Amino acid sequence: MEEKKEAKNVQNQPHIEVGTSKPCRTCKWQTPDPTDPHRGQCTANRHAMGGVWKRWLRDVENLTCSKHEEGKLSFRDHV
Amino acid sequence: MNQMVSAKVLEYRSKTLNFTPEDPTEAKIPAEELHEHLQKPSTARTKRLKDRCRWKHASAGEFIEKSVTAGIERMRYLTEAHKASVGQPQVIRRALGLANVLNKGTLVLQQDEFIIGYHAEDPNMFPLYPELSHMAVQDYLMSDYSPQPAKEAQEINEYWKPHSLQSKCQPYFDMADLGRMYQVSSMEAPSFASGYNSIVPPYETVLEDGLLARIKLAEKNIVQAQKVMTTFPWNGTTGLDNIDKIDNWKAMIIACKAVIAWARRHARLCRIVAENFETDPKRQAELLEIADICQRIPAEPCKGLKDAMQAKFFTFLICHAIERYASGYAQKEDTLLWPYYKASVIDKKFQPMDHMGAVELVEMERLKISEHGAGKSRAYREIFPGSNDLFILTVGGTKADGSDACNDMTDAILEAAKRIRTAEPSIVFRYSKVNRPQTLRWVFNCVRDGLGYPSIKHDDIGTAQMKEFSQYSLNHNGATDEEAHNWVNVLCMSPGIHGRRKTQKTRSEGGGSIFPAKLLEITLNNGYDWSYADMQLGPKTGELSTLKSFDDVWEAFRKQYQYALNLCISTKDVSRYFEQRFLQMPFVSSIDDGCMELGMDANALSEQPNGWHNPITTIVAANSMVAIKKLVFDEKKYTLEQLNQALMANWEGYEEMRLEFKRAPKWGNDDSYADPIITKFYEDIIGGEMRKITNYSGGPVLPTGQAVGLYMEVGSRTGPTPDGRFGGEAADDGGISPYMGTDKKGPTAVLRSVSKVQKNQKANLLNQRLSVPIMRSQHGFDIWHSYMDTWFDLKIDHVQFNVVSTDELKAAQREPEKHQDLIVRVSGYSARFVDIPTYGQNTIIARQEQDFSASDLEFLNVDI
Repeated sequence: MEEKKEAKNVQNQPHIEVGTSKPCRTCKWQTPDPTDPHRGQCTANRHAMGGVWKRWLRDVENLTCSKHEEGKLSFRDHV
Repeated sequence: MNQMVSAKVLEYRSKTLNFTPEDPTEAKIPAEELHEHLQKPSTARTKRLKDRCRWKHASAGEFIEKSVTAGIERMRYLTEAHKASVGQPQVIRRALGLANVLNKGTLVLQQDEFIIGYHAEDPNMFPLYPELSHMAVQDYLMSDYSPQPAKEAQEINEYWKPHSLQSKCQPYFDMADLGRMYQVSSMEAPSFASGYNSIVPPYETVLEDGLLARIKLAEKNIVQAQKVMTTFPWNGTTGLDNIDKIDNWKAMIIACKAVIAWARRHARLCRIVAENFETDPKRQAELLEIADICQRIPAEPCKGLKDAMQAKFFTFLICHAIERYASGYAQKEDTLLWPYYKASVIDKKFQPMDHMGAVELVEMERLKISEHGAGKSRAYREIFPGSNDLFILTVGGTKADGSDACNDMTDAILEAAKRIRTAEPSIVFRYSKVNRPQTLRWVFNCVRDGLGYPSIKHDDIGTAQMKEFSQYSLNHNGATDEEAHNWVNVLCMSPGIHGRRKTQKTRSEGGGSIFPAKLLEITLNNGYDWSYADMQLGPKTGELSTLKSFDDVWEAFRKQYQYALNLCISTKDVSRYFEQRFLQMPFVSSIDDGCMELGMDANALSEQPNGWHNPITTIVAANSMVAIKKLVFDEKKYTLEQLNQALMANWEGYEEMRLEFKRAPKWGNDDSYADPIITKFYEDIIGGEMRKITNYSGGPVLPTGQAVGLYMEVGSRTGPTPDGRFGGEAADDGGISPYMGTDKKGPTAVLRSVSKVQKNQKANLLNQRLSVPIMRSQHGFDIWHSYMDTWFDLKIDHVQFNVVSTDELKAAQREPEKHQDLIVRVSGYSARFVDIPTYGQNTIIARQEQDFSASDLEFLNVDI
């Protein structure tokens, strides 16, 4: 049971899946790294007060997670 | 819907003060739309120019207007010249590169313009700089704004990879260290990775001498150097220096000739349009006048105000966008233009006009800057949300003899800003008690209209700093006591010399950021960043179990700060080492009297040291230190381990504990517990450690605390902090501003707190939000003026104001299309509110709106 829960949590977090068809690069919650275009930032973690708590993505082509959604957010929804 | 008029009354010194609008017609304007009623362009032309302005504001890394893209011409022609000049001295190659771009680039001439010129092939485009950072260009190539044809752009970027500043500098650092910097969470990325830069161009030589005279100077210097090289007896220890000098002067000549030819291409274009295409006789005549101006200047000295505006704009484009990218619009505009204002407006000797003619010219200049596109890297498209770049000019202050430097040009600049209402360029006003009242009134009029500028700097403090830095001059030719009065803000906050020489030429001298909030967070985790990058972000400075006292926490933070600081400054100096070898700026060198005299490149010559670096998010770290000391070490209510457990849970399940940490004393309330700790934090660590460093120019580096939009970006990359902040929430919005909403004891308590920090500082940004009804009332100016005099007496470096109501900000969030003219002060710059992400908008709304109580007025000694 614990192991299953753990496995589910891993899917919720950005994790390496080499050659994934749902890379962070194409995800609407992703925005590129400020300096290195091969890395990125995940903005999916948002709380009720409007805060956006980013996570760094070290490889936007091969990282994915279960929250992946194709698209692009408006600048208004980013930081 | 609330009316603008406040029913508020106040008893003060036995009088009842009513805060009704100074202009009675405003009583009918709803509070929610006040700022849509304030623009008054001086002519129909400037109104049209504003209506069709091609804004290039960026937020969250994206351009807001859909038609904006990168152009290819600059990178194409620069590359073509680079390939064709193999084997020539590097500085000559740089000059030939500039010449090729200027000779072949498409010219832009737009309807209604009087000040002309652009730096890309299309007014919706901006150039890129592959010779700086190939990563920054690659980001564009992977974006919606890629130059076309994309394949050619990619090939150009590949070509520059081995030649770029980034590739030259990177090998001298550990990639693990650089990787930490590239994230922009504890440190700003080095300029060689971002390409970001700033400069104070010596406009004075262009306007006063003209470029033909600069060419003659360089030619004369070459003849002199060649004579030395052929004179008996030869001395190799000094004679060989002439090789570099001759190359530099030759490059200056190539650059100046190219700029003159480029200006004259504009002249021909105007003439062709006037004679062949334009049907309106009035515009025809105007185009011929512009043609005449561009034929004469910048080749010859300027004779009137129109000349000066055009020469200044051409110089701006070369120095900030064509020879190399540089942010900023640094200049002492009123002093610079005064002789030409006098010639045209007062003496009517050349290009005669009245005062309102000068105002119209300034409005047109503001609109040219508003549509200027900057090929900045993504980091800088994120961190100035709502603006196109940091364009900041300076006015006011004092002359060399200490007398008032304000003049009618100062008033024209301020009046134009109030009338046309654009976020750019921002204005800095150097406040002195000798400034004339009529100009102070214009300053106030802009402030109360909610422009967020002028931001106000203390004239005496800036002048004293120039004197202090002068003593470290490596060639003993720093600013004299008289020249110390010639300072402007280089970018948002830091003063630097303006004039014919000794100005800052590259951001490796001053600029760049360090983020104490993130450093405090990793201090509590032995240098590990668990909340953003999941990696070791700094040195191991001790597990929590080893931090037994508050001093242990303090010293662990100091070590994190030292590590980050050393990296920040050393990367800047390494950039400068390679800039003078591979990124020479022959045009900038040609217009600097020092470079011209010494035959040196502008990146190499440093006469006036001006080292500064920006701590941003200091108050989150400092408030956190206060809360840790109080609740963990003084009162022992919690252990550090318990605190860290709550932080790791983002306070979830620890709400009572979070509220205790949030209620701990905070900066900006004249608090006897918090203020000594925070003052020591600024003076001992933030400034004390920074000034131990000596930079390229031989002087110390001092903190220039500010925020730009980094308080948002870094906030979103910083986990929960012991000041009661949740993970991802914005950090503090100024270098020394209280955290939003926590300064609850009124505006004068803020001043008292801030005035306590004096030692080891260069500048510190103070954001204040003032009550709209009070500022727009008949008492508004008197209260503001007394506030400013008190601020001056307390020796506070800086202050700037938002004067905008929460009602109006919220209305603009609901219906952005109806609030295009709503401008707010974000930090060191102003922006259109509707062009800022909601996250950032909320931080403006959350700032404490300061009212004035009777005791505040008493402290300010307001005489009403």
